[in-house]
Amino acid sequence: MAGKSGRSINNVPESSVKRIIFSWEGILVLLFIAVNIFCAFFSEYYNLSSLLRQMPVYVAEVFLMIPMAYILILGEIDISVGSIVCLSSTMACIVCNTNAPFILVVLTALVVGTICGFINGFILTRFQELPPMIVTLATQIIFRGIAEIVLGSGGSISASNTEGFLLIGGKVGQIPYILFLVLILLIIFAVILGKGTFGRRVYAIGTNRLTAYYSGIHVQKIRLLIYTAMGTFSGLCALFLLSTSYGANTTTGNGYEMDAIAMAVFGGILSTGGKGNLAGGAISAFIIVCLRVGLGQRNIHPQVILLILGVLLIGAVALPNIIKQVQRSVKK
Amino acid sequence: MNKKVISAILCGSMVLASVSPVFASDEGMTIALVGKSAGNAFFEVSAESFVAAAEAEGATVDVVYPEAATADAQIRVLDNLISQQPDAICIAANDVNALQAKLTEAMDAGIKVSSFDSAPNKDSRQVFINQTSVDLVAQALMDAVLDITGGEGQWAILSATSQAANQNAWIDAMKALMESDEKYSALELVEVAYGDDEPQKSTDQTAALLQKYPDLKVICAPTTVGIAAAAKYLQDNGSTCKLTGLGLPSEMLEYTGDDDAHSCPYFYLWDQQGLGELSAYATMALVNGDITGAEGETFTAGDLGEYTITAADDGGTEIVLGDPLEFNPENIEEMAELY
Repeated sequence: MAGKSGRSINNVPESSVKRIIFSWEGILVLLFIAVNIFCAFFSEYYNLSSLLRQMPVYVAEVFLMIPMAYILILGEIDISVGSIVCLSSTMACIVCNTNAPFILVVLTALVVGTICGFINGFILTRFQELPPMIVTLATQIIFRGIAEIVLGSGGSISASNTEGFLLIGGKVGQIPYILFLVLILLIIFAVILGKGTFGRRVYAIGTNRLTAYYSGIHVQKIRLLIYTAMGTFSGLCALFLLSTSYGANTTTGNGYEMDAIAMAVFGGILSTGGKGNLAGGAISAFIIVCLRVGLGQRNIHPQVILLILGVLLIGAVALPNIIKQVQRSVKK
Repeated sequence: MNKKVISAILCGSMVLASVSPVFASDEGMTIALVGKSAGNAFFEVSAESFVAAAEAEGATVDVVYPEAATADAQIRVLDNLISQQPDAICIAANDVNALQAKLTEAMDAGIKVSSFDSAPNKDSRQVFINQTSVDLVAQALMDAVLDITGGEGQWAILSATSQAANQNAWIDAMKALMESDEKYSALELVEVAYGDDEPQKSTDQTAALLQKYPDLKVICAPTTVGIAAAAKYLQDNGSTCKLTGLGLPSEMLEYTGDDDAHSCPYFYLWDQQGLGELSAYATMALVNGDITGAEGETFTAGDLGEYTITAADDGGTEIVLGDPLEFNPENIEEMAELY
């Protein structure tokens, strides 16, 4: 296979070392190191322990990147995830405030997320001609609307019983649980995507849905499953978000869908489908996490951080094309 | 591909581990002032005087704003601050309970935590600096009504909504004052009207009050939207009914004056500058160890004089700045430029 990575800078296979370095993932690894060196010079507070301590709130978004990668590889998009995060954290908070056992809070977050995801998947598979962008835009408004109605005029709720959240926000030594969970899930889903039959089918659908359908792949079943999983992961994100913020409000999860898409696309996953892998997504996710922590530590204005990330993203998307053009003009 | 991920993470951690923390040189006191969100004129006025007061004492102040006016955005800011290890954090909290874990973490890390403008819960702070108390506001407003009516006659209240907690607290305190003190006995509170903090509805309610009670002498509007709407209506119609309450100087500039051409002789609002200054002194006193935030402790806040820490309604402790600030024809032009 000529590299599942969406961005291949050098199409002619040369020596394997060169191929790894010039693969998109290779560049991302270099970038990851560069970003860390940059952050360490930029912020005198940037070190492994401060990074690990500040990481959880940003890493929660990486949960969303995993199924988002699948959806993008299908050639589709889900922009309702931020609202699902908002709704499930709201519901989990409400359950938490009834003094229910913590396992019930966890289940609420996951079940609400799963139901929302299932609704997306159900509409999209039942009415196949509807574009995912529009359907999930509608559910984005609906889910956040429900959350806003539930939250009422105050617009926010805080968890009064924080013991359970303190538990899942815990650490082994300095390493937060969430990091373990994210890494384990990333590996599992990367293997499913890269090595499993299921993954191959996802690529097949993303490359050409009709061909995939005629070759006997249950296209709609797979789509439904992935959208539902997206919901479950949103619930997971909501849960870990709660373990850092102990509350939800009408803006919880705002823009998370775009962050997840940005992480995936920056990681070399083509939004048109069929190309990319989770390794790239994972590295790019951690580049963004490190950059946010490092820049944040010097009190850089949050909007400026967004600006820097935006520029980086545009650069990343355009880089292969720029290199190609340079190569072409050099050859001339 | 997994090898790459692992190697990436290993490389990254090696780089990180090799860079040992370099702490900022320990010259003077560093204070982080955390706002609710950027672009809040009210907060800026306080922040400015906070910085001025702290810098005059040799401290360095970093004013930090969260991405949005939410608790989770402030949590990210606090995360950053805990890494930076300032001597103190003074915060205007976006949520009462949500910041508890982070602020406790900060206090555990040896950072002093004070708060002003809006308080996090009692376990999340060492002391809260309150602009004024309910009783002081009610007292100031009642005395204004007494003064403007000349001691007797009808007056009405134009409030925001009937559910607004702060409005109701002030109104109840005013009613209690009227009953407790003889000097208010000739005053007759005819109605509490609700303008829902909408300019049009507040105007309509003002008009209705004037129609119902032709002898109405004073309207007291303890809401910035209500007072501005009522001021415009009364002045445009040349009404003899006067106005006082809580308002923004910049919005009340053209309606404030002692003569009949103006509808509002004077009104009140918090002293944002004083609040910033007092917060700075209180925060520095925490760092210097002069106070720990326990009830009954006293400290000197520069020119502002001596202050005592008192119990707050939420079970924590607070420092009350004092009476609300009076805005009259003499100071309004200067203050209108601030907020």
